[in-house]
Amino acid sequence: IVKMAAGMDVRDILELEGPEQQFITKDALMNDRKKKVAKKTDVSFKRPEGMHRELWGLLWTDNKDAPPIIPTDTNQGYKQMKAKIGSSKVRPWKWMPFTNPARKDGAVFYHWRRVADEGKDYPFARFNKAVDIPVYSDLEYQQHLHDDNWTRQETDFLFDQCKRFDLRFIIVHDRWDRDKFPNRSVEDIKERYYSICNTLTKVRAPQGSEPKIRAFDAEHERKRKLQLTKLFDRTPEQVEEEEHLIAELKKIELRKKEREKKTQDLQKLITAADSNFDARRSEKKQTKKKIHTPHQKINPTVSTPEPSGIKFADFKTSGVSLRSQRMKLPASIGQKKLKAIEQVLEELGIEYSPIPTEDTVTHFNELRQDIVLLYELKIALATCDYELESLKHRFETLAPGKPLPVETCIKSEPESSVLSAETTGSMVNPSLSPDSPSKQKMLAEAIDVLNANPPGTPNRKRKAALELPNMLKKIKQKM
Amino acid sequence: MTIVKPVIYGNISRYFGKKRDEDGHTHQWTVYVKPYKNEDLSTYVKKINFKLHESYPNPNRVLVKPPYEVTETGWGEFEVVIKIYFNDPNERPVTIYHLLKLFQSETDIMLGKKSLVAEYYDEIVFQDPTAMMQQLLNSTRPVAIGAYKHETDFEEKKEKTLEKILSAKTKIRYEIQELNERLKQKKESIQTLKDHLEKLEDADVTDVENVT
Repeated sequence: IVKMAAGMDVRDILELEGPEQQFITKDALMNDRKKKVAKKTDVSFKRPEGMHRELWGLLWTDNKDAPPIIPTDTNQGYKQMKAKIGSSKVRPWKWMPFTNPARKDGAVFYHWRRVADEGKDYPFARFNKAVDIPVYSDLEYQQHLHDDNWTRQETDFLFDQCKRFDLRFIIVHDRWDRDKFPNRSVEDIKERYYSICNTLTKVRAPQGSEPKIRAFDAEHERKRKLQLTKLFDRTPEQVEEEEHLIAELKKIELRKKEREKKTQDLQKLITAADSNFDARRSEKKQTKKKIHTPHQKINPTVSTPEPSGIKFADFKTSGVSLRSQRMKLPASIGQKKLKAIEQVLEELGIEYSPIPTEDTVTHFNELRQDIVLLYELKIALATCDYELESLKHRFETLAPGKPLPVETCIKSEPESSVLSAETTGSMVNPSLSPDSPSKQKMLAEAIDVLNANPPGTPNRKRKAALELPNMLKKIKQKM
Repeated sequence: MTIVKPVIYGNISRYFGKKRDEDGHTHQWTVYVKPYKNEDLSTYVKKINFKLHESYPNPNRVLVKPPYEVTETGWGEFEVVIKIYFNDPNERPVTIYHLLKLFQSETDIMLGKKSLVAEYYDEIVFQDPTAMMQQLLNSTRPVAIGAYKHETDFEEKKEKTLEKILSAKTKIRYEIQELNERLKQKKESIQTLKDHLEKLEDADVTDVENVT
């Protein structure tokens, strides 16, 4: 209805023709509507009082269907409710005087307070906490607390300061009277204070009881602070250098571990190759029946994945299968091994998938296993060479000029090696020349030896580090 | 107990000499499965299903008696899935994948004067078949009258391949031995060096300690 009215205005303004007819027809329509609608509005739901029009619009449509919501008691909800403050009476307040027990001068102040609370203690006085500083008698001082470096006056002054500043040693140190007394460091002050406290606790404790002693290691504290200052004062270059060295060390350790692992594999490999060869050598000597037993001996070693080559799928179960299936390589073989096999087969002029008869399949599988074994041996050999190189270098630094106790002809290759081309190219990383990594390793080891900590310090550090939090806890408990 | 039945599978194809206008086909080809020896496969084979490329109508071509082959025309190479079902319901079917070969760089084949043959040898291995199946497998009858030959000389191929593989094995084993020996030597060298170095380092450390 609103839209139609706007339409009429626009036409009026624009002085468009033909509105009269429209006028009439629209009017008629409007009237019709009103009549029809008039009857039906009684049936519609009323918007609850206080509910916003838009919200009601969401919930209610003109379809006259039941509203989609389950009818709830909405009468109260959408009114602007008044805040419910307690129905009790207002409590009166009074302007009254009070004293703070925490104060020493008994000054009287005034404040507003509820009449009901009149006469009660000032509630904030309980926050006035003080540190327990022991007080010693003259006798105690003469008997136990005498010290050649500290005069009686100085000691009294120290305790007075501690009391005043609640054991805040930094402040005590700052306010130290350097005219009267010698210049003391924070550690000196703490040392004197704690040693006195400990002596007093021991002396005052009743017979047979175990008094708690605060351990304070002044020497350690001095060193610790000195080290921290040094650490803090390092130049950025020094920091960077240190980080760099640490990273290098990590890398070297990692490589070392890898090489150790490889030598382990090497060992397995050698035993596998040995057993392999021995078994097959005996195979030729023995009769056909006995061939099965050495083969079975090989199988347990073959089943260990890495060093002993490939394991082919087993076809002992009954059923029908294609011979060519038994020639398939297992999916678990890595890319490098696959490549090695491919290259050797190419060199030998053998098809990648030859004609599958029983004999061919058996021998072809064995051939491929042997190829993998050969490949692994090659890798192991290269690792050995690398290790030999680095050992050689170390030897040369530690005993320069001395002859090597072993023969190390590293780069000689067998003449008819099938694998020579691809393995030497791919395995020896071009960036790792035999010189640089072993030299770096050598230097790092040299540095290590020189900087080795004397056995005492690390333990002391750990002990003190554990005790500091304990001390802090005790202080907190006392407060 | 094992029974082995060698089979030959593959295709022959021939170039028309030109591209056919109505459908663009260029070759006629026949994909087949034949027994290696002269026998009637249907004794123990129930059916063979040749699954062609989906662009062919009814791509699943089923043959229940010899000759087990499908002849068609086309223009491209694709993989044919050959599934062989056996008369014994206990036995699962075997699947062979064959890449249909139409093209080769030999001139006569390219010109369409000669057919191209791409056939392969394989063996169906029956491990512990049932008594019934054993009966069927062992009681086959010849299927072709007269001489039975294949396009390829497989006997020769078998011999040559085995020969090559065996000589390769010997060669590789020899190299393994060699490498093994060298490896052992190197290990010993490494150990000796390490021992020497240890002694040197101990001496070094004691020197340092004495100085400090």
